[in-house]
Amino acid sequence: MNAVKRKNLFVFLCVAPAVVLFFIFMLYPTFSVFRMSFFERGAYSNKEAYVAFENFKVLLNDTRFIRAAQNTIFLIVTVTVITMSLSLIFAYFLTRDRIFGGNFFRVVFYIPNILSVVVIAGVFSAIYDADNGLLNSFLSLFGKKITVLWKGEETVIFSLIIALVWQAVGYYMVMYMASMSAVPKSMYESASLDGASRLYEFFKITLPLIWTNLRTTLTFFIISTINMAFLFVRAMTSGGPNGASDVVLSFMYNQKDDGLYGYSMAAGVLIFLFSFLLSFAVNRLTKRKVLQF
Amino acid sequence: MKKLLALIMSILMVATFFTGCRKKDNKSKVLRVAALSSGYEATKSGMWKEVCDAFTKQTGIEVELTLEKNLEDVISASMQGGDYPDVVLLATGREAGLTEQFIRDKNLTDLTDVLEMTVPGESKKVKDKIAGGFTDSVATNPYGDGKTYLMPMFYSPCGLFYNKGLFEQKGWEVPTTWDEMWALGDKAKKEGIYLFTYPTTGYFDAFFYALMYSVGGADFFDKATHYEKDIWDSEEGKLCLDIVAKLATYTNPKTPAQANDQDFTKNQLMVMQNEALFMPNGTWIVGEMQDAKAADGFKWGMTALPAAKKDGDRYSYTWIEQIWAPKGAENQKEAKQFIAYMYSDKACEIFAERNAIQPVLNIADKLSDDNKLFYSIYDNGAKAAMGNFAAYKSVAGLGSVAETFFDPINSLVSGSLKKEKWIENIKKANVIMRENLIKE
Repeated sequence: MNAVKRKNLFVFLCVAPAVVLFFIFMLYPTFSVFRMSFFERGAYSNKEAYVAFENFKVLLNDTRFIRAAQNTIFLIVTVTVITMSLSLIFAYFLTRDRIFGGNFFRVVFYIPNILSVVVIAGVFSAIYDADNGLLNSFLSLFGKKITVLWKGEETVIFSLIIALVWQAVGYYMVMYMASMSAVPKSMYESASLDGASRLYEFFKITLPLIWTNLRTTLTFFIISTINMAFLFVRAMTSGGPNGASDVVLSFMYNQKDDGLYGYSMAAGVLIFLFSFLLSFAVNRLTKRKVLQF
Repeated sequence: MKKLLALIMSILMVATFFTGCRKKDNKSKVLRVAALSSGYEATKSGMWKEVCDAFTKQTGIEVELTLEKNLEDVISASMQGGDYPDVVLLATGREAGLTEQFIRDKNLTDLTDVLEMTVPGESKKVKDKIAGGFTDSVATNPYGDGKTYLMPMFYSPCGLFYNKGLFEQKGWEVPTTWDEMWALGDKAKKEGIYLFTYPTTGYFDAFFYALMYSVGGADFFDKATHYEKDIWDSEEGKLCLDIVAKLATYTNPKTPAQANDQDFTKNQLMVMQNEALFMPNGTWIVGEMQDAKAADGFKWGMTALPAAKKDGDRYSYTWIEQIWAPKGAENQKEAKQFIAYMYSDKACEIFAERNAIQPVLNIADKLSDDNKLFYSIYDNGAKAAMGNFAAYKSVAGLGSVAETFFDPINSLVSGSLKKEKWIENIKKANVIMRENLIKE
């Protein structure tokens, strides 16, 4: 065996475990999801019947799925927009101005992120309580007693948005603070000498210079919202009342309980394709020339 | 030398990844029992452990016990891989519907011969110990062919729970017909108390079964649970749905917002704090809410469902937890022995100590005082309703019985769904369910 061959063998053996694991735990399950979506089978029996695209056909006409998909898209859009803007604004003020207790706020904003979803669900269960809840009690301070049913059919989706934003804002704020503090002070100074307003500074200096960071986090965030929404729905509302807060992943999960494994996987395939295309689109749309300082 | 070492190390690394995949060797026979850790276990833990130990002592068969609150999540993964526990205690009607899936897939061991078995350590046969009627319904014989696939374990009368103290205070009578119920609802409303609430819509199943019995008797119940043609256009069918829809208008409007797994105790609390008069529930409620702050003079009361007309029959649903054996399990013979042992005096005693009551003869002597009151509901004129909706083959896009019948009640209460639309959806689903009914 010559030296090159031995080196290749060595490299091969080093890489092999990771590749094997990747195949077993990533590629094979993904492939299985696609395969099973063409079958009809229960979760606990091995009998399966090939049904081609039948699962997908039914899925696209299933009102419950359509509602879940609408909820998901609504959540992705609103939660992303609100979280991104809030964390950008907070990060900007915390880095640019020496706000009293800035570090304290930084920690406080970050805390929700290290709490488990179940804890957050418990906290918000108390906040949203119709009678003694924090939110209703606060609103009742200004006049007559207000009892908004935060987890009721019409408002439940907004309650989810609040919880999701509250949970994510700190994490992204810290990310943006890191990249914003890398922007040289001299740029702001020269801009202010030229008479630029703060708003102008933010849009013309800060944003372009942290754009790369913003792009990456945006893609991450969209994907994670799909997952986090499921966790929050499971812990906070169980999809209720009457499916008003169902999201695609919780729909998929429930189909499994109805013994419709293939159908559930068909939903999984659509979610997979959707998130894949969405991140691709986001990546494309946000492409800009990379600026450097 | 260095490279050889690296080679060995990397081979080792790969190898270690697969050690977890090795199958457990089962040389000595161990019976694997999986049981749901429910409210009974919470009262005073250890009842399953004690029973398993007693079984081992009696028969010499080792038992490996899996006792979990979220049993479905724990055992389902290995079952998907074809590795089944030998005995499972898990009722139908739970949210994950695991037992229903086994019924649908016909993956249950036929337990009819267990009834003929002698209880280990005793001289009586199992069938002579179980009280009459408990092995006749769809709950134990899911395919309606006289064969028992699930054995009845714990039973609990379900009915409407209320604050007895409040009724005494106000001098109100507990209604015996639905007309009296509505009258009481109007009266209570004037005092700012709503007539009705429910923990989650899941609690409507027991309620609805009893309602079907009280409206149309066993005959109607049978037809409806087997999705007979136009059953919801019949007099009885219409009346059932009308009552539920009317009840929705008498329900405390806060209910749907709290009718989820996170907040359902808040709905239960409404009854204890006089914000609603009645709720459907089971006897476990007493233990579940024992630490909650109730209104002054609060006392639990329980009543059967009001009758459909004056002097009509009143029903209370008997909720049964079942024990069963998956078809794919290894130790079928031992599993049957274990199930037979569940009806031994020793086992019944251990269970009864935690208020887990089995349908065996003479169990009444073992009841605690609280429970005597609840379980005596059948002695006080209420009839026992048993059974459930027949299994049908899962159809994509159809949804479960609970999703079709009961979940929309949340929307009926909040007013976002019209009664007519709800009934229309039920009728549509009824057709598909009938077409996919599982028959032997």
